[in-house]
Amino acid sequence: MKNIARLFFIGFLLFNFWGRGFIVGGSLNTVYAQEQGDWKQEYAEICAKTQNAMELSVAELKDRIERADKLQERINKLEGPLAETEKKVFTKRLKMCRELYSFALEYKEHKE
Amino acid sequence: MKKAIFITGLLFSIIGIAFAQTGVKKKRPLPYEFGRVVINNYSEASNIAPVVFDHWLHRAKFTCRLCHVDIGFAMTAGASDIKARDNINGYYCGTCHNGTRMFGDTSAFSSCKEESGSMNATCDRCHSLGKNVTRKYDFREFVKGWPKERLGNGVDWEKAEEQELIMPYDYIEGVSIKRAKLVVQDDFKIVSKVKGMPNIIFSHEKHTVWNGCELCHPEIFVGIKKGLTQYSMVSIYEGKFCGVCHNNVAFPLLDCQRCHLQEVK
Repeated sequence: MKNIARLFFIGFLLFNFWGRGFIVGGSLNTVYAQEQGDWKQEYAEICAKTQNAMELSVAELKDRIERADKLQERINKLEGPLAETEKKVFTKRLKMCRELYSFALEYKEHKE
Repeated sequence: MKKAIFITGLLFSIIGIAFAQTGVKKKRPLPYEFGRVVINNYSEASNIAPVVFDHWLHRAKFTCRLCHVDIGFAMTAGASDIKARDNINGYYCGTCHNGTRMFGDTSAFSSCKEESGSMNATCDRCHSLGKNVTRKYDFREFVKGWPKERLGNGVDWEKAEEQELIMPYDYIEGVSIKRAKLVVQDDFKIVSKVKGMPNIIFSHEKHTVWNGCELCHPEIFVGIKKGLTQYSMVSIYEGKFCGVCHNNVAFPLLDCQRCHLQEVK
C-alpha cells in the first residue's frame, strides 16, 4: 500500500514538473503554429481590397499600408523549412498590394 | 602580300559598313514562339537544360493576374528567382504543377519532385532548351478554329474569350484572395505626338479583365496624374510601359491600329 502511494506520489511529481512541460510546450507550439498561420490570414485581409482600391478612403488606405508594413516585418522573421520560399513569395505579393494602395493614396492626396 | 592584305582589309571594311548600316536583323518570332520565356537562373549552373515557358498555353487557361499577382511571378524572365525547392514547397510553378491540382478533367503534372539527383522525362517537359522534346499540346491543333490575328501568336485572344473558346481561370482555392468586385476605371485618350497619327484610346476595362489593378500600378505605370508620364514609342519598344506586355506576350506593337484608334480629323 505504501509502495503504491509512493509510486503515485512520484508519478504525480513527474507529471507536474515534466509532463506539464510537454503539454504547455505543445500548447505553445499550437499558439506558434496559429501565429504562423495568422500572418497569411492577415495578408489576405490586407490585400482583399485591391480591386476597389480607388474607392477606399484616405484613412483606410493609410491603415492598410501601415498593416502591410507591419506584416512585412513579420514575414522577414519567418522561420522553418518553408521560410526562404515564403519570404520571397509573400514579400513580392504583399509589395504589389501595398504599392497599389500607396498609388491610390497618392492619387487621392494629389487630387485634394 | 601587300595586295592580299589590302584586299582583305577592304573586304572587312565593306562587310563592317554593311552591318553598321543595317544592324543585325532581329528575327520575328513564329506564332508558337511568341511569348516564349527562357528561365535560366540556376539551370545551366546545375547542368540542367534551362526552362522554356510558352505563354500561349497558359494564357489560354489562366488570366495574367492569377499568375503574376496571386502566385507572384515577376514580369521579366529570371526576376522571380525560382528554385526547384520553391516548386517542391508548392509555390510558383509548384502552385499548380503538384500532380494533384485539377483544372477541369486534367491534373497539372508534378514539377520538381523530391527525388535527388535524377532527371527524368517529366523534367524535360520544362527543362527543354536545346532538347528535342515532343510537346503534349501542339500549337496549331490547340488554336485551330480560333479567331485569327495578323501578328503575335496569330490568335485574337480578346475575341477568343468573347466567343468563350477560352475561359481563363482567375481564382485558385487556397492561393487567390477573395477580393471585392473589380471597379473598372474609365477609358481615356493619350494624345499622339506625331501629327496625323491617330490618338490612343486606352481601355481600362479590356486590361483589368485580364490583369486587375496591381499588375500595372505602380510598377509599370507610375504616373498618378494624366499627362505626368511622358510616353514615347522608343521607350515602349525598349520594354517600358505598354512594352512590358506588348513586346512579349500581348499583341505586338507593330499592330498600330489596335491602340491608335481615334479618327484623325
